[in-house]
Amino acid sequence: MPEVSTGDFVVPGDLLATAEEFVPGNGAYEEDGKIYAANAGVVLVDARTKHISVFSRGAGVPTLKRGDIIIGKIEEVRDQNATVVIGALRGREDRALPPPNVGLIHISQTDAGYVKDLSREFRVGDIVRAKVINANREPVLLSTVGDDLGVIVAFCSRCRSPLVRQGKKLVCESCGNVESRKMANDYRKGVL
Amino acid sequence: MEKPEKLIVDGRRLDGRAPDELRPLKIKAGVLERADGSAYVELGNNKVFAAVYGPREMHPRHDQQPDAAVLRCRYSMAPFSVEDRKKPGPDRRSMEISKVTKEALEPVLFLELYPRSVIDVFIEVLQADAGTRTAGINAAAVALADAGVPMRDLVSSVAVGKVEDTIVLDLIKEEDQFGTTDMPVAIIPRKKAITLLQMDGHFTKEEFKQALDLAFRGCEKIYEVQRQALKEKYAIKESG
Ligand SMILES: [Zn+2]
Repeated sequence: MPEVSTGDFVVPGDLLATAEEFVPGNGAYEEDGKIYAANAGVVLVDARTKHISVFSRGAGVPTLKRGDIIIGKIEEVRDQNATVVIGALRGREDRALPPPNVGLIHISQTDAGYVKDLSREFRVGDIVRAKVINANREPVLLSTVGDDLGVIVAFCSRCRSPLVRQGKKLVCESCGNVESRKMANDYRKGVL
Repeated sequence: MEKPEKLIVDGRRLDGRAPDELRPLKIKAGVLERADGSAYVELGNNKVFAAVYGPREMHPRHDQQPDAAVLRCRYSMAPFSVEDRKKPGPDRRSMEISKVTKEALEPVLFLELYPRSVIDVFIEVLQADAGTRTAGINAAAVALADAGVPMRDLVSSVAVGKVEDTIVLDLIKEEDQFGTTDMPVAIIPRKKAITLLQMDGHFTKEEFKQALDLAFRGCEKIYEVQRQALKEKYAIKESG
């Protein structure tokens, strides 16, 4: 039997159960064969999976998990990968995302179709919206496959002015340069 | 400040407390909108805020630790917090208190969960009447829990001392200044482990044991108020 029941309020350090009977879930930790609360909140005992967790009201420290949508900035573009510095996690714009906050978009995860040249899809400084496909490694793996994913703001690689969308192309109104990107369908609509 | 003729009369202290009595204590969690976590503590005439930010990426980068977060504490006293207006900005005393506060809190944090990050704790004393470093630690522990920073335990802190040969709990300014000994202590309640112990003055071995025992009992009471503050914060959010 756990030391607490579902719905009980606990604070960090409160004994929840023994490690023989339960596994620490969210907001819980194991030490010397016992499971304690790591957060202040309410206990959830899952008798089926044998997990004992603590749920806070506040959302706590943001962490990336598979399926999350992030906004980031392209830091480097290589043959096979683009590196993204993650700036914000959708739904958790209230709080800074601690490291690991760097992601990779592999060329195969850029667009639904075949991509030959990654530098025609992303450029350094672009702001992208991407989905987390693997958060259990560092850098995390990201994907921009999907209409709503991809570059949301791009800058002219000649003069750094923001590019304007014209059909499938991006045009620089300052210098006339024409470029291409893997764009999200709401490119420069001001939506994160 | 003038020295009162006697600090203890008929077993009562200047403010009417018994030697083993805590000053009135109020703690509120989640009081600052913009911080990731916060707390307000009133201990007698002390008024202290703590604000927590992070964990977030550490800047400057050369201060990053590759395998853990860094806990950064800054204790400061508002210029109007003491009778003789204090020069703003960090002085030696504030820097020393910032350092011992960090050391008092560090053992309960899972810093290894957040490589290259920093957790910032700001402690601001609005009104001071001896015991601000312990009030600051109590506020910071609640603020960290309010921020959802994973913790092994809370930390509770109180000062004990000797006044006219009596061991007392939670000294006021007069006792701090004219008593013989002041010993701030911080503990991890569940483990009964000490994370801060400083001594200004001296105790005999027997007095030290007695004082430490009193500090533990005082911290237990503080711990209950800290728990209650977190519980109240939880309940408020639930209905809102
Ligand atoms: Zn241009």
